[in-house]
Amino acid sequence: MSDFSFLLEGVQAITPKILVMWVIGGLLIFLAIKKDMEPALLLPMGFGAILVNIPFSGVLNTDAANGIVEWLFNVGIHAAEAMPLLLFVGVGAMIDFGPLLSNPKMLLFGGAAQLGIFVTVILAVLLGFPLKDAMSIGVIGAADGPTSILVSQQLKSAYMGAIAVAAYSYMALVPIIQPFAIKMVTTKKERMIRMPYNPGKVSRTTRILFPIIVTLISGLIAPDSVALVGFLMFGNLIRECGKLESLSQTAQGPLANLITIFLGITIAFQMRADQFVNWGTLIVMLLGLFAFVLDTVGGVLFAKLLNLFLPKGKKINPMVGGAGISAFPMSARVVQKMAVKEDPENLLLMHAVGANVAGQIGSVVAGGIILSLAASLL
Amino acid sequence: MRLITAFQSLMGPVDAGSIWDSLGLLLKGMGGVLLVMLLIFGVIVALNKVFSRPDDKKDGKDK
Repeated sequence: MSDFSFLLEGVQAITPKILVMWVIGGLLIFLAIKKDMEPALLLPMGFGAILVNIPFSGVLNTDAANGIVEWLFNVGIHAAEAMPLLLFVGVGAMIDFGPLLSNPKMLLFGGAAQLGIFVTVILAVLLGFPLKDAMSIGVIGAADGPTSILVSQQLKSAYMGAIAVAAYSYMALVPIIQPFAIKMVTTKKERMIRMPYNPGKVSRTTRILFPIIVTLISGLIAPDSVALVGFLMFGNLIRECGKLESLSQTAQGPLANLITIFLGITIAFQMRADQFVNWGTLIVMLLGLFAFVLDTVGGVLFAKLLNLFLPKGKKINPMVGGAGISAFPMSARVVQKMAVKEDPENLLLMHAVGANVAGQIGSVVAGGIILSLAASLL
Repeated sequence: MRLITAFQSLMGPVDAGSIWDSLGLLLKGMGGVLLVMLLIFGVIVALNKVFSRPDDKKDGKDK
């Protein structure tokens, strides 16, 4: 009988924390499949959480051999944040900046809607988190998975797994979180403000020069943002140059899908039970939700502030400010849906799309600025 | 530098320096983000002015 005791070693090593992680992994898979919540990320993360939490798992390094998930993490994230950055090439290739280029004042909402990041940092510090963890937690509010992963990895946050789970979960919950946040700070009358859409014309030369100049500006002001902004804009340049259609399609399709498959399962390396199951993880999830809500509120309040100075007939519908987060295109659709609910003839979609793509730029700029400021603070 | 503990919080001691750093981060961070966005705004306006073509205005075509 003792010769067969090795068969029970794994079972005997199961701890309550490991069981909790199996449940969490199962929950993420359930949310991905049954509720259609960001399935591309939550399903690999959920399955990865189960893989790394099997006792003596072969996906983690042992004395005898390297484990594939740990190797993927070390090479794809730890070394130079390659996976989130390569994913950004695909994201950039997917984005059409036309609605923003024809209506550039939406950029202001993309900036204002990053307020929640920095306020959450203060709150996290007041709750006792070290500054590097507080800064990483705050970036959840950017509503941008790759930026959250990259910033938390570069700052060596102890909560990277929780931050990734929070970022992608709340992105999937935008249709629930945003209407609540917007209604909290607006009146029905404000939500019914109509905004005529008279876009300016955008030349092809403008579309080509835009990603190059944005990279230069962001990089000169916040050099640590060059990787984030640069790879996003590189993807966009491939799309807009008009000469690389096959590369653009590859970036939007196979590249983005390939990286997504591996990114989710790789992030699970940070979801090992001994690291993940603690009160800090729960508080991180709550702070992330707060950051998300406050980002939306920040954009809305900025629009309301501008309205104090705008004449009647040129007022901004404050909900458009709420679309200035990075959850593209979901946030724009949410705002349009809310507008039509209040007034069936109120078409805000193109304004909201402009603010939404501005939010994508704002979030990577905010992430880069945090990394630049972290160098002097930590 | 000696850390001055302001108070004990949920996740551990909070030092006064971190509170000031996070407030500074709010000002510099939001200031930096808005500065970059304003610069990009200016660039877009300039690009649209320089590279718009008369026939774009006439037939309303985006390129």
